[in-house]
Amino acid sequence: MSDLLKSLGVSAAGMQAQATRLRHVSENIANVDTPGYHRKVTSFKVDGDGLLELAKVRLDRSDLENIYDPGHPLADETGHYAGSNVDLIIEIADAREAQRSYEANLKLFDQSRQMTQSLFELIRR
Amino acid sequence: MFEKLGLTKMAQGLASYSGARLAIIAENVANADTPRYRAKDLPDFASAYDGMASFSARATRPDHLLAPTPASVAEPVLSGGSMAPNGNDVSIDLQIMKSVEVRQNHEMALAVYRSTSSILRTSLGRSG
Repeated sequence: MSDLLKSLGVSAAGMQAQATRLRHVSENIANVDTPGYHRKVTSFKVDGDGLLELAKVRLDRSDLENIYDPGHPLADETGHYAGSNVDLIIEIADAREAQRSYEANLKLFDQSRQMTQSLFELIRR
Repeated sequence: MFEKLGLTKMAQGLASYSGARLAIIAENVANADTPRYRAKDLPDFASAYDGMASFSARATRPDHLLAPTPASVAEPVLSGGSMAPNGNDVSIDLQIMKSVEVRQNHEMALAVYRSTSSILRTSLGRSG
């Protein structure tokens, strides 16, 4: 019984972490055209109770894209300005992975719930 | 409730084993994207049950001391498949398949327990 409750908690922590990861991904996508924006990189770690949580968010320090647009307010004398280093393909792939893991966690959460319920059915009759 | 009956004892063992195994599977799935995480699983029920059913000391006097019963049914072992580049070897489809197996075992244990208790109720002259 306590194991079933533990697996409910573990799955809930997993869903929470994946949802936060998806939020960072959508922030990256929203800022794809923001000049000087560095994309956020999320990674996971396990905390003291064995629950999943997000590690500290890092900024991707790779080079910003150099865009040629002489009419842009931020353009330098050569007509270039620094865009963001967000790659939409990477973000979409990351979002897909977060969604897939979220659904797997949800499935196991539902199963723990159903198994707890069938255990309760035993004493209800 | 009926620990002395071998049948219900085994059914209870299978139910608690299923719960413990589901907790480990949930942990694996939650860590499906954690770098360097290795998938775990419990050994099969036959060997786990052998460990549970071994002889244990009985306190026949109040001043007898007993060793504390182990908290978990068995120690988890590594069970991963092929490893991803980030050192993680959890396969979600394999874990979902295992969770279905756990679900079936749990239902079976509860069904055995339910029918045993209804036989006992019938023998006591109560309906159901």
